[in-house]
Amino acid sequence: MITVETVRAGASGVSTPPVLELHDVKKAFGGTKALNGVSLSVQPGEVHGLIGENGAGKSTLIKVLCGIVRPDEGAITLSGRAYAPATPREAKANGLQVVLQEFNLLPYLSVAENIFVEHLPRNAFGVVKRQEMNARARAALDAIGLNDIDVRWPVERLGIAHRQLVEVARALMTESRILILDEPTATLTSRETERLFAIIDELRSRGVSIIFVSHHLDEVFRICDRVTVLRNGETVFSRPIAETSQDELVRAMVGRKLQQQMASEMVSLARPEEALSLHHFRHVQSPHVEGISLNLHKGEILGIAGLVGSGRTELLRAIAAAERPLSGALRLEGAPVSFRSPREAINAGIGFVTEDRKEEGLILNMPIASNVTLASLSDVSRAGILDRKAENAVTERLGAELKLKYGGPDRNAATLSGGNQQKVVLAKWLARNPKVLLLDEPTRGVDVGAKAEIYALIRQFAERGLALLIVSSELPELMTLSDRILVMSQHRVVGELSRPEFSEERILQYAYQGEQQHAGP
Amino acid sequence: MQALEKTQAGDTADARRFAAWSPKVLLRDAGIGLALLLLIVFFSVSTEHFLTANNISNILTQITINLILAVGMTFVILIGGIDLSVGSMLAFCAVVGGTVLTIPDLSVFQAVTLATLAAVGTGVVCGFLNGWISAFWGLPSFIVTLGMLNIARGAALQVTDARTIYSFPPSFNAFGSQMIFGIPVVFLIALLLVAIAWFVLSKTVFGRLLYGIGNNEEAVRLAGHSLMFYKVAAFTIAGALVGIAAMVYMARLNIASPIIGIGFELNAIAAVIIGGTSLNGGRGTVIGTLLGACITGVLANGLILFGLSDFMRQMITGVVIILAVIIDKYRERLTGV
Repeated sequence: MITVETVRAGASGVSTPPVLELHDVKKAFGGTKALNGVSLSVQPGEVHGLIGENGAGKSTLIKVLCGIVRPDEGAITLSGRAYAPATPREAKANGLQVVLQEFNLLPYLSVAENIFVEHLPRNAFGVVKRQEMNARARAALDAIGLNDIDVRWPVERLGIAHRQLVEVARALMTESRILILDEPTATLTSRETERLFAIIDELRSRGVSIIFVSHHLDEVFRICDRVTVLRNGETVFSRPIAETSQDELVRAMVGRKLQQQMASEMVSLARPEEALSLHHFRHVQSPHVEGISLNLHKGEILGIAGLVGSGRTELLRAIAAAERPLSGALRLEGAPVSFRSPREAINAGIGFVTEDRKEEGLILNMPIASNVTLASLSDVSRAGILDRKAENAVTERLGAELKLKYGGPDRNAATLSGGNQQKVVLAKWLARNPKVLLLDEPTRGVDVGAKAEIYALIRQFAERGLALLIVSSELPELMTLSDRILVMSQHRVVGELSRPEFSEERILQYAYQGEQQHAGP
Repeated sequence: MQALEKTQAGDTADARRFAAWSPKVLLRDAGIGLALLLLIVFFSVSTEHFLTANNISNILTQITINLILAVGMTFVILIGGIDLSVGSMLAFCAVVGGTVLTIPDLSVFQAVTLATLAAVGTGVVCGFLNGWISAFWGLPSFIVTLGMLNIARGAALQVTDARTIYSFPPSFNAFGSQMIFGIPVVFLIALLLVAIAWFVLSKTVFGRLLYGIGNNEEAVRLAGHSLMFYKVAAFTIAGALVGIAAMVYMARLNIASPIIGIGFELNAIAAVIIGGTSLNGGRGTVIGTLLGACITGVLANGLILFGLSDFMRQMITGVVIILAVIIDKYRERLTGV
């Protein structure tokens, strides 16, 4: 393990005094140590990558820096002076701006009003000087190259990517020495990411320091000058980017050597029996008459790739009858079926792990056991009366099977990490012993270690003969897991790849071709 | 902070959320119970007549109707709804029940049985409509029950031509003031309803799903449960309890008037909220509601014995409602992340 010593050594190697320095910062919430000794030093005009698994303490650290949370221990200096902001306003006054992951824009106000919301230009009567505001907002957007939107538009009219850039523009309105970007690229397309990077470069040349929090290591290598890795609330690693490698960063984050990807030794477990087939299957949003046709065999893992908006999620939702299907035929194990509600789909043997775990998958404030049995309550009750022992037994059995790390079946689901929450969702469906499992972004918000575990579990399910349909935006994930990959675009299947043909280039080629075909005539 | 014991990550988050079955709920209810106890001690010491058998049974009689209404309200609030119509429905159920009760040539038993069926039936129909309309069209129950508030009140006035119904069978009236060991029988009925509601909410699949819907209805729907059924059921249960409350009202006061029950919905909501149930749904217990109803009842009675005017009492009750919610928030913030 690399200790604080290394961190200091790294910092002292640079001659200019750091603009921001943290020394052994600690913060506990109740018994949970969110930060347990974070040390970090940011130079003027430096892009400083901050990475770590979920729960490593990145968010808490940002909250400390921007005055939302007060640290329990440790010293922070800003330009050589002690820095302890009590409120976000104070942090801003000190030249520290943050663009948080969750959007802080007011959807029904205009772009200009959002940019100036903290200090609207006013005349002597307190009336907003609208023209001045709009002109200055225009200039602010132009400064970051965002000239394709009108500052009078309400924010709700903008796409997620534009909103993100408006946030950046707002953060830059005040003269800032440090800009913190929390997962800024999570919602951006590659072109918009390029634009953001150009903005970051420009800011760097003006001497602004940027703390760049990201899950994407390639981006960190692209844009950062230095990178700090947090693990379990501690700084474990901080080095100039040139002196490290992706492999080393992953090891530092995980704290152990990742298992070699199992891709090479994977053989298809598909059996000849058909599990699910779609024939010209359409839902309300699919524009084409031909709809989607596909076959899924028992024990097969079928991946679905496609750009955001290509209709992948909608397809899964329609199969699970979360949304009403429109037309076309659905066969389950050869027999024609049609579902009018999620209940009918579930009773027929379909399980659906949704994309949004917190909104659709789990009841966070209810016990783990209640979440596990939510779809199979009739198995753990008699005459409508719950058998708590049976519930706990099911939870413990599935918990052991899925290697769930939890305090006990009566703990709330909210107490679990992302990976373990996802395992609870999987347990909920396994408790029903489904024939087909639909998985939408199965490892979203799951850290690197838990990801590998979930992959292994998915393979185990296939071994048992469960048919799996997986939607994922992470191509390496799809290529690791799938026996076959279908590429979707504009609610159609535009390509199919078998395992030997897998490559990111080919998948993307199909996906973009599909887009263009549609955009053409 | 170093001194803090190493605990499983999650103890903190766990402590701030409650569900009907966790032991933490007992602690929470114990907190409300403690507040009730302090009130009782305070009034016992500061007033002369508070801790007398007579006054206690008085209080129990006074809170009975609010308690029954609040039990129904708990079901509705747990799924994230609200029922503003219970006061009007009480009047409507009472005049329908009262009309049946005064049908000549029926034996007392027949009259009371039929009247109970009629009153509860009326409540069930109104409650069903509340639930069905708001679930089917996806309307906020606040609006739908605001409509029902007017409809039921109008119906009560229409049915009776704005007249009061009285002269019920004397034995029915006697039942209303019956005591067992100094405890009013009607209060025991309310307690029985509390016990049944507690069982349903904490021990059955039905109750589990009500909590589930209050917390995350989409997750419950995607797990294969019909939201419609549970939502309609919660409102229907509330309606049925209004019917029972209407019978108790008539037994106690020996009248059925179309203008009774004005503002009762707010008292019921207050009892539920003071009892620690979240207005957002998904969190709370019917035991809390029992304690909440007792607190409002003890407060009302005690403050008057204390020599305060009814107006002052009303103001203080208002303060207590706000305090209860603040304490709840504070507790959440204190233990939460």
